[in-house]
Amino acid sequence: MDIPRGNIIVMDRRRGKLRVGQGLIQGLKVVWDHWAGSFHKNENFSQIHGTFTVEYPDERLPLPQTYRNMPVLLYDDESGHELCTGCYQCQRICPPQVIHITQAKDPVTGKMVPAATEFIIEYDACMSCGFCAEVCPFDSIKMDHVYELSTADRVSLTMRKAQLNRPISYYASIAPDLWAEVQAGAMKKLQGSIKRRPDVIGLAAVLTEKIKARRLELAAAAAAAPAAAAPAPAAPAAPAAKLTPEEKAAKLAAMKATNANKGVAAPPAKAPVELSPADAKAAKLAAIKAANAAKQAGAAAPPAEVPAELPPTDAKAAKLAAIKAANAAKKAAEQGNSE
Amino acid sequence: MQDVVNQVINTTFGWNWPSWAIALIGYLIVAVILFAIAPFQMLFLTLYERRAIARMQDRVGPNRVGPEGIFQPLADGVKIFTKEDIVPDAADHWVHFIAPCVVVAPTMFMFVVLPWGPGMVPVDLNIGLLFFFAISSVSAVGLLMAGWASSNKFALIGAMRAVAQMVSYEIPAVISLLALVLITGSLSIVDMISYQGGLFISSRDVASVPDWGLGWFIFTPVGFLAFVAFFIAALAEGERTPFDIPEADSEIVAGYMTEYSGMKFGLFYLAQYVLNFLLCAITSVIFFGGWQGPGVGWLYAQAITPVNPQGGWVFNVLAGVLGVVYFLSKTYFFFFVMVWIRGAFARLRIDQLMDFGWKFLIPLTLVNVISAAVWVALTKWGAADGLAFVEGWSPLVRWAVAFVVTLAMNLGAYLYLARIFAHSQAERERLDDEVLESLINVV
Repeated sequence: MDIPRGNIIVMDRRRGKLRVGQGLIQGLKVVWDHWAGSFHKNENFSQIHGTFTVEYPDERLPLPQTYRNMPVLLYDDESGHELCTGCYQCQRICPPQVIHITQAKDPVTGKMVPAATEFIIEYDACMSCGFCAEVCPFDSIKMDHVYELSTADRVSLTMRKAQLNRPISYYASIAPDLWAEVQAGAMKKLQGSIKRRPDVIGLAAVLTEKIKARRLELAAAAAAAPAAAAPAPAAPAAPAAKLTPEEKAAKLAAMKATNANKGVAAPPAKAPVELSPADAKAAKLAAIKAANAAKQAGAAAPPAEVPAELPPTDAKAAKLAAIKAANAAKKAAEQGNSE
Repeated sequence: MQDVVNQVINTTFGWNWPSWAIALIGYLIVAVILFAIAPFQMLFLTLYERRAIARMQDRVGPNRVGPEGIFQPLADGVKIFTKEDIVPDAADHWVHFIAPCVVVAPTMFMFVVLPWGPGMVPVDLNIGLLFFFAISSVSAVGLLMAGWASSNKFALIGAMRAVAQMVSYEIPAVISLLALVLITGSLSIVDMISYQGGLFISSRDVASVPDWGLGWFIFTPVGFLAFVAFFIAALAEGERTPFDIPEADSEIVAGYMTEYSGMKFGLFYLAQYVLNFLLCAITSVIFFGGWQGPGVGWLYAQAITPVNPQGGWVFNVLAGVLGVVYFLSKTYFFFFVMVWIRGAFARLRIDQLMDFGWKFLIPLTLVNVISAAVWVALTKWGAADGLAFVEGWSPLVRWAVAFVVTLAMNLGAYLYLARIFAHSQAERERLDDEVLESLINVV
């Protein structure tokens, strides 16, 4: 049918052919058909008669991945490392201003470190706009799928960091495609960084000189006193008094980096076809750098500490681990620098 | 009920209580039963309507409270009882307070003459039908009281619409029943039911017809036209959907109920559903034989009755149960039809409502009264009344002739009036279309 735009279409309802009262009977017939057909359930939307009702508490529709309800924070499954750096981007953009962040500080120097000691979101006033998740540069704040949030009082909807923390694997399970996008984005960023500054991956330009100087200093120190006291290993998630979270993270990252290194670099033939040489190179490079940085920071990871139950060589996992390791190493280096 | 009480107290126990005490106890028991039944009918009908209309809209309806949601009305009742009662400052407090009672009381009175089964009528008034419709008009006073006392424009408009609608639609309702009163020659509702024994032909018109309890008035042309007119008028009186103008929520909030909350609102709701139940019940009683149905008449003939004191009490129970089942299934079917109409049709405008009532239904029912007179003349009159030529015909022939003549009269009247009415409506529509045309054909 050709429908010219801007004209009024007159539908032919065949009014002239209806006798008196016939239209009423037809209307009743339509309603009757719906009533009689409503005792079976519709399988799909091509069926006109029958109920579509999903009886909610008993049965639920699957939620789309992009469904968003309330923001949550992500942390790394294995290391317990929280992705949030306390950059305040989400707090600034939040339209109802329900996000409150307390920046973490080094207990010794009193300087700010890239982590949040407290992170509060008032769920009762949150409007689920998702701006916080959009602006987050570290992909640490994401929108959750949980929608049954009713409570008896308002206060229990004020969520603190411990209640907001979710493992990455949880987010990857509810929104696998979105998480894959995040990973791809991080990888692309890393590649760009490698191309621009092959020596200082992912570090701010102002820090590179400082780090170089610090590395030299540390090398000199290591040469002077070879017997450095190895710090006792602690549980990853628990806040330790001696080890700062950054140091721990660095150590763990170093372990992972070594693994990743082994997986990708040792047998180059094993690398999957879709992994471009540049990618592999970048991963290797990052891993090595991370390991070095971690070692230099004083938390050397002997190869014996490598966990035995490693998953089979997964190029992507290795890449990711490398990225993480690089980040952790960067942090560790910063830490060392500030000291 | 009194004979049963008398039987139990004076014969079984042998206490020899005076007859006034027996009468008092009997009436008390009946009153208690009726006042318990009315709210339960309302509770059931709310659920029934919600489930039925949900099905018509491809939904499931309330089914969470109890199996298939049967306790939903109880939950609603608890909710409405615990609601705060708000009276507007500007309201006329006393009238505002009394209005719900004035609306509810008449609907309760209407139960007095309603027969539930054979021999199961609270009071067999010889003017039962008159009582029924006279008392139902009283609730219009309550509606106007509610609208006036609320001092709210929507409430007042709603109340005035309600009164206008009830007053104009009581005329076709009563006139359509008048036709059947002419045929039965009695205003007693019990008499009207007993007239409807037989098999498609009432055994009072033709004595040789076997009594299967199926001689309903709906099978005669007079009864059919009266039924259609009465049911439409009942929809208007019960403020059901094509005629729910008094509480048109898209126009005037909730009509006369706007300023009511809590249980006062609940009373209006109760009155409305009880009234709807009663209108369905009276439809089934007068046009569909009430408790009449295959088997009830025979069972009741074997039972203990004033006519037959030697009967078996088992037959009383069986006849009662079967009669009530027939009666209630007919009643609930008509309530389903009300819901069905609600699901299918849109609300009329007030002018369309008045046009339809005064220009179509009333002339049609008036013609029906004349048809009923012809029916009575052809089936009952003889030489003494000036109709000597029917004397020689057998009852069946007289019935058949009456059927054909009244059918022709009613059909002719319907077609003629429908044509006139459609013509006048089409003329109005043509004017509307002309205006629309001039609006849309702007180049």
